Amino acid sequence: MKLPAFYLLDAISKNVYDPYARHFAPIVANLFIETYEAVDPTTRSKMEEMLLTWRTGAPNGRELFGVVPQLAIEQHIWGSGATQTAVRSPPKRLKGRPDRRRKQMGSRASSSSSSISQAQVLSELEFVLGQKERQLHSNPYDKGTQHHVTVLQQLRALVQVGVSQEELRQILTQLRSLSASAPPAPAPSVPVPAPSSYAAAPTFAPPPPVPPVSAPPQPSRPQQPSYPVLSEQPKAEPIDFSRFLSAQQASAPSTSAAPPVSDITNLFNALVKAGVVPSSGTPSGTPKGAGASSQPEERPQQAADARDAARDYRKLILSRKVQLASADIIRQRPPVVDLLYNNLPTQCKQCGIRFPSTSNGKKQFEDHLDMHFRQNRKASQAVGRGHSRSWFISLEDWIHGDAVDMKGKGRADGRTLSSKAAAAEDAAKREAELRAMHVVVPPGDEAKPISCPICKEHLKSEFLEDEEEWVWRNAIKKDDRIYHATCHAEAAASKSSLAVRLRNETSSRSRSRTPERLTPPKMLAQADTRMSESPSPSKLAGMKRKAEDEASQPAKSEPDAPQVKRQAT
Amino acid sequence: MDRSENVDVHTKSWSLQPESEYRFELDPGTSLAIKLVSGHAEIFGAELAEGKTYLFGQECKAAVYTWQGCKIEQYVTGHPSVEYVSDETPMAPYANVHIALEQMRVRALAAATGSPLPPGEDNGGSSDAPRVLVLGPENSGKTSVCKILTNYAVRAGQEWAPMLVNVDPSEGAWAAPGAISAASISAPIQTATPASPLGSVATTAPNHVASNALLPLSYWYGHAEMRRNPLLMDRLIRNLGENIRDRWENDTAGRSSGLIVDTPSAFGASSGAGNDHRLMLIKSCVDAFNINVILVVGHEKLNVEMQRTYGNRMAVVKIPKSGGVVELDQSYRERVHKYQLHNYFYGCLIEAPPGLSTKAFVQAGEQTPELTMHLSPASMTVNFGDITIYRIGEETMAPTSALPIGATRAVSEMQPLLVDPAMPGSGLYNAVLAILAPPNPDESERYDEEVLDLPAVGYVVITALDMPNRRMTVLSPTQASLVGKTAIVGSFEWSE
Repeated sequence: MKLPAFYLLDAISKNVYDPYARHFAPIVANLFIETYEAVDPTTRSKMEEMLLTWRTGAPNGRELFGVVPQLAIEQHIWGSGATQTAVRSPPKRLKGRPDRRRKQMGSRASSSSSSISQAQVLSELEFVLGQKERQLHSNPYDKGTQHHVTVLQQLRALVQVGVSQEELRQILTQLRSLSASAPPAPAPSVPVPAPSSYAAAPTFAPPPPVPPVSAPPQPSRPQQPSYPVLSEQPKAEPIDFSRFLSAQQASAPSTSAAPPVSDITNLFNALVKAGVVPSSGTPSGTPKGAGASSQPEERPQQAADARDAARDYRKLILSRKVQLASADIIRQRPPVVDLLYNNLPTQCKQCGIRFPSTSNGKKQFEDHLDMHFRQNRKASQAVGRGHSRSWFISLEDWIHGDAVDMKGKGRADGRTLSSKAAAAEDAAKREAELRAMHVVVPPGDEAKPISCPICKEHLKSEFLEDEEEWVWRNAIKKDDRIYHATCHAEAAASKSSLAVRLRNETSSRSRSRTPERLTPPKMLAQADTRMSESPSPSKLAGMKRKAEDEASQPAKSEPDAPQVKRQAT
Repeated sequence: MDRSENVDVHTKSWSLQPESEYRFELDPGTSLAIKLVSGHAEIFGAELAEGKTYLFGQECKAAVYTWQGCKIEQYVTGHPSVEYVSDETPMAPYANVHIALEQMRVRALAAATGSPLPPGEDNGGSSDAPRVLVLGPENSGKTSVCKILTNYAVRAGQEWAPMLVNVDPSEGAWAAPGAISAASISAPIQTATPASPLGSVATTAPNHVASNALLPLSYWYGHAEMRRNPLLMDRLIRNLGENIRDRWENDTAGRSSGLIVDTPSAFGASSGAGNDHRLMLIKSCVDAFNINVILVVGHEKLNVEMQRTYGNRMAVVKIPKSGGVVELDQSYRERVHKYQLHNYFYGCLIEAPPGLSTKAFVQAGEQTPELTMHLSPASMTVNFGDITIYRIGEETMAPTSALPIGATRAVSEMQPLLVDPAMPGSGLYNAVLAILAPPNPDESERYDEEVLDLPAVGYVVITALDMPNRRMTVLSPTQASLVGKTAIVGSFEWSE
């Protein structure tokens, strides 16, 4: 019974934040601890989860109720030793800049922690694994990272089975050096999402490099952590993973044969040699490697590659003399292993789909990974909103639907858009672009509350990774005043023609209806042409284009259902 | 090793030899988690990713097949259901069929794009894409064959998007039972529950696997048995075929990928009553989808019959039936219908076996099933006047042969009858309604039987009838309004 009340408090504080979180702050620590003592273990774990989200719950990515209550609660729950280390392992979806910084701090302080729980190590493992996987997303051909991921996954399995206290500690230290030495991930190939309305929304964007120079000042923080210089070389720890692996996985083939190595890179090599880690990056036997070595360069080159690949495939397929006859299909030995496995060496680690090693295949694979990335992000953002089954698309859309898809790159999405939705899509795109506009916060003004003169709501500042600047999102500066870009556009439009105004109404209405829809490239092109005639070009000038803002995609149908009521399952 | 608290969890490892499969059958209320530890494995042609834990439930019966050998680990709740390893599978013949179909596809694509065939190959056959009809008796694994062939096609790396057509109303495929539908498949179809044997239709959730966000074209037949109204069935099949043809006009890749039709087992039952209907419906499938390959799954007599009728026009091939097929009884099918309707409205979240060491399960290919597989339907109140409900033909219809000689029906099989919810005994309580697409906006284009030709956009269930106020409560999959305001009621009922 107490948990829902806490969830309410949590929701109010996170979503509304401003006056409430401040008022809750003095009482929250005692309240939490008292409740924690009184409830059963499952509720406790739920509360712990919630507590973890509070670390970054504030709109600026800081502690929701400030550092003091947060630390007080954490120390009470996990003990003083664990606090430091636990700080380093927030749940996977809450990684942001502050975490990374705090993590550095924690890694220095925690070496003295007395006892290490399995859960703690696991969550750290998950964290590093997540880091590596994201790195892999942005650079899928990085074999080193691939190996890291594989080994980490094995380690995770190991820890889940259970290892001794001593080993846990060793894994922890090793992990720390690994995560600290992780080179800053390059910007992913997908555009960074325009974050949705509140900054606490979890994002899967990789943690940005931490440049000490441009780091924003954080006046309210009691202990300013210093930024340790990231060492590019992993610290050579006296302990190596292979010992654990060999000790724990005695059954695993020939791991024990791995020579003792002190460096994690060597370890990976040793594991690959020993056959524990499949060298997944290296294709095995590709008969049609014509385009395999060529880098994707230009579109014509790629089209030619695709054509060549299709030709090679055709040749390969037609070279089989299989007749569609009952006797023939039973007699033959099909070369299907080559067709379905060996010729498609690139495999998505998440869903098992394979791609050819041609440049066209690489392109498809990248698109596919982008799709996973987008969907993961959406899934994490949509938490709690609830999904529902859509109506099927209309006959007309079905007949013409996927034709658009086939030409475009949206294949992996398998989604199409109705022609009617195109107009709404257009409006949503306009709004997304407005929302992506930002004004750089003058130094020192981060904490200063600023509200939009039109809607009187607060502008939220956030850190823009591309620019390495703190900005006000969805903001525009006019005559020395900061407006919401959307509000300003609406106000400006209301003065101009009726047509523009109508469009804006559609766009503002679409804000409240937010199902997920992908934007096929065709539609975007249409939207672009309409964009050019929309309000005033001067407003669009300083605008940052962001690929999509799913949070503001429009619904296909209008919410005119009579007396709709959500049903809890 | 902290498994002490989970006494009834069974963990096992299986090492599969090349070309063998691990088969399992789940009982109601049990779930199974399988992890591919090493090697390559696939379930009905959809490859498993190594190291991921896949969940199965709702009495799923499936098999993990490996071409090259693999090692899997599994966990089961409750008592382990049937499970065994078999090395006698018909996968090699199926793969040969796949290669033969691929040959047709590449030829069709080459002809469509005008690119030359390799030397010495250009006289080998027609340039027709494969349009396959899969026939077979009950429990012969027709759906599995369709699934394997479709999955192999989309896995070929050639961006095929074959059309998968389901004309088995008792299966329901992508939506509710009683529907016949078609959908273009671009990613392997995953297996997790028998309620969505061919993937599932799109939701507002962000899905990772395209086969969980299918956009089917669906017509509502409304009954589980084909013999209930064969004329209606014939008409719907022809509608489906016509629309697929329209779609392919602008879609070369889709056209070259061809289609695969899964049929009801009644098509393969070569005895008893309704034989003429059976042949008529097979013919309408052949005509509607322009079939050029007929696969007969493990039925000699049917094969001979098809050879005689169609052997001169197209390839009729008998393919072996898998030894792993499970005899399914009527009550199982009814339970699956219930699961299907439940999943349509509420989504399907299979509970993982307790004691599983990881929390990262994959259910039907979804990485985060807890976030995306759980759906919230909406309950809404509708005035009687706001929606027009039809029933096609009479509710209980005597066969034509039972009528007095010379007599004609007062109500034909195809006549849409208006159902008045205010009438007692309307049979609407708990009934599943298909909401139809809006009729032609142009009044002059309308015709009497238009409702027969309108595709379904979704399904609702009437959960309450309020006679005095002339209102009813319906459970709708989404909060959006009931699109077409026209609905058809069939013989399916569902209650929670």
